[in-house]
Amino acid sequence: MLIFLRELKRNRKAFVIWILILAGFNAMMFAFFPSLSGEAQKIKDLMDVYPDSMKSAFGLDRLDMSTIMGFYGIENYLFIALLGSIYAMLLGAGILSKEESDGTIEFLLSKPVTRNKIVTGKALCVLFYILLFNIIMTSANFIFFEIFKKEAYSIKAFVLVSVGPLLLHLTFSAIGFFISMFIVKAKAIYPIAIGAVMGAYLISIVSSISEKAEALKYITPFKYVDASELIIEEKIRIVYLAIIFFVITASITASYVIYNKKDITI
Amino acid sequence: MNIIETSQLTKYYGKNRGIINVNLKITEGEVFGFIGPNGAGKSTTIRTLLNFIHPTSGIAKIFGMDCTKESESIKKEIGYLPAEINYYDDMTVSDLLEYSSKFYEGDFDARTKELCNIFEVEKNKKIEELSSGNKKKTALVQALLHRPKLLILDEPTNGLDPLMQQKFFEVLKNENKNGTTIFFSSHILSEVQKMCSKVAIIREGKILKIETIDNLRASNYKKVTVEFDSAEMADEYKAEGMTSKKTRGSQAYFLYRGPVEKLVASLYRVKIKNLNIQEPELEEIFMHYYAKEEE
Repeated sequence: MLIFLRELKRNRKAFVIWILILAGFNAMMFAFFPSLSGEAQKIKDLMDVYPDSMKSAFGLDRLDMSTIMGFYGIENYLFIALLGSIYAMLLGAGILSKEESDGTIEFLLSKPVTRNKIVTGKALCVLFYILLFNIIMTSANFIFFEIFKKEAYSIKAFVLVSVGPLLLHLTFSAIGFFISMFIVKAKAIYPIAIGAVMGAYLISIVSSISEKAEALKYITPFKYVDASELIIEEKIRIVYLAIIFFVITASITASYVIYNKKDITI
Repeated sequence: MNIIETSQLTKYYGKNRGIINVNLKITEGEVFGFIGPNGAGKSTTIRTLLNFIHPTSGIAKIFGMDCTKESESIKKEIGYLPAEINYYDDMTVSDLLEYSSKFYEGDFDARTKELCNIFEVEKNKKIEELSSGNKKKTALVQALLHRPKLLILDEPTNGLDPLMQQKFFEVLKNENKNGTTIFFSSHILSEVQKMCSKVAIIREGKILKIETIDNLRASNYKKVTVEFDSAEMADEYKAEGMTSKKTRGSQAYFLYRGPVEKLVASLYRVKIKNLNIQEPELEEIFMHYYAKEEE
């Protein structure tokens, strides 16, 4: 509990900065909706010059920009998913390794506390901020949806496009947490987190553009919670949920095991 | 009861030697010096005792409990002062001390205040603004505030000015009088001699010798430099207990073992310009022990 509370405080500033910027961006994009939705047909005509595979990669073929849900799926969803994942992975990868790269772990380990408690306190803090992040974003989204909607939208789809990013964020933070068992240098954390998230996103694009690369969709979490699938089909496939569940559980379990066995020298 | 007990404690970092077959017994109330050059394995031993690292083989026990399996219970009664102080840069001194005290059961406000006064710690300063000496002082308060039964000090005086060192030694003596066992690791012999009743000498990962300070001192020799009036006098000078004499002009260098007053008395009879008596470097004492071992 002590470590959890300490981590809440330590990571508060970064959280506030991320949420302010992302929530601000999100609001700004919603503000474009009234004017853009009127031009939806024109935009669609404009987009028609692009190949179908390209359009499907961005969900343009299935989503309707003139509805608030379609607009959200094309415009806002991606960047909440993407930038939120970068935040989540940075948070997950940095929270434990920072003690080692700063050398403060010597202080912490000299206190009467088990390594399990250290891992638990830190992991819970990551979970807390990711949940808070998504609760704030979802609440803001709900308000914007209510303000800008022209006709009723599916609540089920709304829940799904809200849960989707949460699952992504949890997955990337768990992977980051696991990676930080091996890589503790603060300098390495940023390129790894940004590279992993952007890489996974690029793979998801490639897998939808090229049919040959379709199998790649299983290795990128972005494909698991694709906006057009969530909105049109109103479901997340069980196989994807199972993979997410497995990756998170395995990462966290392995982290506990490895951290207990690890020699910590600074 | 043995406060610290290790048997055949060995640690390899991959293929690199950390410590090899270290056997230590430290009894309650002892001030135990742990001395050796940098890289000898002092910190490795301490890190194993504190379970930062896992031993390759052998056993380490503190308060009769296993250092790997019962580390949490052991640490309730340990105060640790690391060689290099790294604290959270977003905290002030009082934040850190408060955080530290919350790991232990009890109320340590009065004690913290008292220690901060003794060591002149400025509680409102940010950790990142502190000089290394002030960081060390904060770390001292942190190590002492919960009244641990065992203090583990790794190069404790590093960065403290002489006046503060004096205060520090006084506090340590006081703690020791109240029953605290102290494990004092250092590469400075004089410091260890000042505090400790017993020392273990470690070199290249192995314990060379465990000796009481009195014995160590008795077998100890001094490095002497004398500047005589002339080169002949330097050549001719002899004294009981003198070895390895070398001369350069009117200067003579030699090692001396025996009572210092006898040496001074013998020098008093001849004319000298200058006299310098030095404690040997730790390295030289090791060489001395090494030579003995190989005989």
